Amino acid sequence: MPENQIPVTVLTGYLGAGKTTLLNRILSEEHGKKYAVIVNEFGEIGIDNDLIVDADEEVFEMNNGCICCTVRGDLIRIIEGLMKRKDSFDAIIIETTGLADPAPVAQTFFVDDDVRARASLDAIVTVVDAKHVLLRLNDSHEAEEQIAFADIILLNKTDLVTPQELEEVRQRIRAINSQAKMHETVNAEVSLDQVLGLGAFDLDRILEIEPNFLGDDDHEHDDAITSVSVQSDTPLDPKKFMPWLQKITATRGQDILRTKGIIAFPGEPKRFVVQGVHMLLAGDLQDRVWRHDEPRTSRLVFIGRNLDQAELARDFAACAA
Amino acid sequence: MISLDDEALVDSYGRRLVFDAPVNALVWIGDMAWFACGDGHAHRVSFAAERKTVAAHKGAILCATAHPDGQSLLTGGDDGRLVRLTSDGDVGEIGGFGRYWVEHVVASPQSGLIVAAVGKEAVIWKQGQREAAHRHGYSSTVGGLALDAKGKRLAVTHYGGATLSYASSADSSRTELKWGGSHLACTMSPDGGYLVSAMQETGLHGWKLPQMVDMAMNGYQAKTRSFSWSRRGKWLATSGDNSVIVWPFEGKTGPLGKRPVTRGALGALVTKVACHPFDEIIAAGYADGAVALLRIGDDSFALVQAADGKAVSALAWSADAETLAWGTEGGSGGLLAMNTLPR
Repeated sequence: MPENQIPVTVLTGYLGAGKTTLLNRILSEEHGKKYAVIVNEFGEIGIDNDLIVDADEEVFEMNNGCICCTVRGDLIRIIEGLMKRKDSFDAIIIETTGLADPAPVAQTFFVDDDVRARASLDAIVTVVDAKHVLLRLNDSHEAEEQIAFADIILLNKTDLVTPQELEEVRQRIRAINSQAKMHETVNAEVSLDQVLGLGAFDLDRILEIEPNFLGDDDHEHDDAITSVSVQSDTPLDPKKFMPWLQKITATRGQDILRTKGIIAFPGEPKRFVVQGVHMLLAGDLQDRVWRHDEPRTSRLVFIGRNLDQAELARDFAACAA
Repeated sequence: MISLDDEALVDSYGRRLVFDAPVNALVWIGDMAWFACGDGHAHRVSFAAERKTVAAHKGAILCATAHPDGQSLLTGGDDGRLVRLTSDGDVGEIGGFGRYWVEHVVASPQSGLIVAAVGKEAVIWKQGQREAAHRHGYSSTVGGLALDAKGKRLAVTHYGGATLSYASSADSSRTELKWGGSHLACTMSPDGGYLVSAMQETGLHGWKLPQMVDMAMNGYQAKTRSFSWSRRGKWLATSGDNSVIVWPFEGKTGPLGKRPVTRGALGALVTKVACHPFDEIIAAGYADGAVALLRIGDDSFALVQAADGKAVSALAWSADAETLAWGTEGGSGGLLAMNTLPR
């Protein structure tokens, strides 16, 4: 991440899951860091920070012909405004409301050039209430999407459930999002280096995930969100892979919530990293080169609805050089 | 004009300035340039007088304009306040809005009105009144404000278009100008015949008034953040591309069916434009810190300041066109004395 880009951490989660507890934990810890905190004006009170900015959660459709391309106009405005201050920040933390759709928040950091030049999404952290999440998942679209979009999941209030219930919750979360890093907490107690400054978008973790480790899911309903991971031990031909990925996100972008991948191209010492939100894709060769001792395995994770694992695996394999 | 190989004009005919924070706005009051900065300070600068610094806001100054009295400065900040600064350095609060930012302010010496954008409202003060007279509300956050030359007709841009109203009336009739997308900064032509807004998606949208004929003015690389009308509204100079995009507004149909003139492609993105008050000359500021004078007529230019990496964030001529002033995101700035330039 270039030095002049300020890392942004997004806190999502249903009302009462523990977002504000986590936020206050971050702000009260002795770390000598300066944060700008963006909260919703109707949010819970009692946040102690020098700079708190109210967000209006204004979701704007981009008038660019892309049907699912929405951004958070208020975040664009606020981030631009923060850059007008004399003193910079170590990080920006955005707390969303319980009912916020994470897609426009994430897309803001892909779509707006001025925001992209100045800030970069460090991680989407979703706080989940272990006691109530299963109920929420049954009656709310947002709870599922918040888990699907997460880079980090705080499975909170684990003291309020039995070990069996906890295992059921774990399974359900993993079925939606296999690639997020999960921490189980009580009172949102987590070491801050597990939620901040992770560069979670550097995606190294997806290399650790076993593809298809979930196997067949027996409890899914039709529009449930799942994760599909595909891999190839043969480097991929960029002339095949890029058009395929662009086509699949363009045509299936409404179903595909997130895309993350690390790809090996033939003869390219650097790793190619790709990430996406719905139809928006951003890809770049990382500074990080493939080490001699690591296999040049290309891996791609899709999180979304109506994903056909077999078809995606076949198409991905066909991109081999 | 000066030939290309001459040194930057600021060193021979001007003065470089240093501030402690990004220059977010620049306003001329008489022969004094006020630089409004990101540390809440406003600096009053001229060739003749000593610099005066006023602590106006707790956070950053986000916007500034001349008070209708023509003697003092209005600044809005991210501390939620709109204040008035007199030339003596006195600070008086006009309005306070808590955690809401005061992001835009316009004022008119003709009507005496002050209008500030606070969240989804335009707050309006009438001449001589301490308290705000009334507020006009909108469905989304105000993206930009503009008053016509008489200071009566108020244009407010927002998500989905713009709204015209009469600022002095609490229950003014409203004209809704609809166009999909998020509309940011806006400007009205001096004759009130056109409203032009800058889009989030880049590009401009124009409305020819009063018929409300839509005009799409696209092709910009970046968002347009700076507009400037040449004398009598003949041209509209705009930022947001690698050259200054200058739209012709002469005649009955303005830019409809016409191509813009492009001037001053010096390499970097144009971030600020300011038309000379009398002549067909545009001052342009660039993302790499360069400042140049451009002729509309023949694409010749003179470099006022060479690129130094600090994006130009403010640029303004004094009303008598004697001095050009500019400021940057990096907290630098300058003054150029036009009357000493070789012709």
